Amino acid sequence: MTFLKTLMLTSLKILTLMTTATLMATATLTTPAFADSLYEDLGGLEKIERFTARLVDLTFTDPRTAHQFKQTKKDRLTKLLVDQFCELSGGPCAYKGVNMKKSHIKLGITEREFNALVEQLQQAMDEEDIPFHTQNRLLALLAPMKKDIVER
Amino acid sequence: MTQIPHSALISALLFFGISTPSAQANEDLFGSGKILATPGVVQVEGAGGAGLSTWAMISGYGTNRQVGASAHHTYVTLDDFTLNATGVTVGLFDRVELSFTKQWFDTGDAGARLGLGQGFNFNQDIVGAKVRLFGDAVYAQDSWMPQVSVGMQYKHASEGAIVRAVGADDDDDFDYYLAASKILLDKSLVLSGTARLTRANQFGLLGFGGPNGGNHSVQFEGSAVYLLSRAFALGFDYRTKPDNLAFAEEDDAMAAYVAWLPGKHVTLTAAAVDLGDIALQGRQQGLYLSLQVGF
Ligand code: HEM
Repeated sequence: MTFLKTLMLTSLKILTLMTTATLMATATLTTPAFADSLYEDLGGLEKIERFTARLVDLTFTDPRTAHQFKQTKKDRLTKLLVDQFCELSGGPCAYKGVNMKKSHIKLGITEREFNALVEQLQQAMDEEDIPFHTQNRLLALLAPMKKDIVER
Repeated sequence: MTQIPHSALISALLFFGISTPSAQANEDLFGSGKILATPGVVQVEGAGGAGLSTWAMISGYGTNRQVGASAHHTYVTLDDFTLNATGVTVGLFDRVELSFTKQWFDTGDAGARLGLGQGFNFNQDIVGAKVRLFGDAVYAQDSWMPQVSVGMQYKHASEGAIVRAVGADDDDDFDYYLAASKILLDKSLVLSGTARLTRANQFGLLGFGGPNGGNHSVQFEGSAVYLLSRAFALGFDYRTKPDNLAFAEEDDAMAAYVAWLPGKHVTLTAAAVDLGDIALQGRQQGLYLSLQVGF
């Protein structure tokens, strides 16, 4: 019991230090530095193409989202998403599609559908061995699009 | 705010199988549509949060058109005391959270030393309600604006005569809180701060108010959580408490924890806690374990 207690107290101290260190470290880092390297950290265009193709496969078959894509040309959407992810992450691409508000208006997309797509993207990136923290940096760039995409 | 009855009505219609005119697929009312870990877990008083802290997130995996709920059992073993807590927490349309938790605080041998009797129990019932006001902890990643909620907890301590005998003014009372929480997704961090108006002695287990303070005072709860991986989070909580009773000093509380989230339906939190001095028995440190099941 004394050993357990010492162990717990030590871990308490270490965790406190770690949390403080993390907070201090993140406070000094600026966002642009992250954005520059995200494209590289995702594994460049090749990786982005692979996980995006997988994402679209999942989106077109998952019953939570499939019903929205009955009229959609899969190849065109995949290409547009690759350009979008590549450009967003700081890569050498240019997204030439319609903006998020215009392209999703009238689809009546729900928060649950949006989250389902996020989970599909997480799965697709997992399958390409993209680290969790790198995934979160991409998701942080996509998350604000929810207000333009989700209607209800 | 007019959104509540509206989405409630739609969900009720879907729930009873009446189809709405739109061509949308059925939104499963209990479909756990939130993303893993984003609602936090259930804290020791039954509110959505983590460990000792209350967060602005609405508990449960229900989205703005869904309902989420969970049950928890929390066990804390301290140097001289044991706390058990069991409760249910419901999240409605990501707007309102309701909770009920019962706590049992076993004094063990200390009960005999304090003249209460071996294994004397202080218990309390906690009924909580929380409403999300504004802000978005999860999606508004392009702004620093946190999600902000207000809440209250009605607490009723079981041992009215005893808590008055040790100096408390009352055996029941309301806590009120304002919570601000934010997920910093690009840094895989969750930060949360809460201001609580309370008169509770030792969370309410020793009643409310006392000779050193009869009014509500502002107390602080803070959490910092680092998301290690999809299934593991590492967190630290700090919580200040009033010091109203004269017979014994009351200290701040803290916890360092690991939460394991193997999926949306089961969560296990293990923590090292330090609750400070309790009832003249010296500094109380120990292990906190909390199991939560729900959707
Ligand atoms: C962060 C999340 C999302 C991003 C980044 C995104 C991105 C895109 C892009 C780039 C396009 C192509 C726009 C164009 O045609 O020029 C598009 C179209 C579309 N999106 Fe999304 N989208 C997201 C979420 C969703 C969700 C949750 C749904 C529904 C479940 C959805 C359904 C559609 C549909 C149906 C189209 C139209 C495709 C067509 O033209 O046939 N999107 N999206």
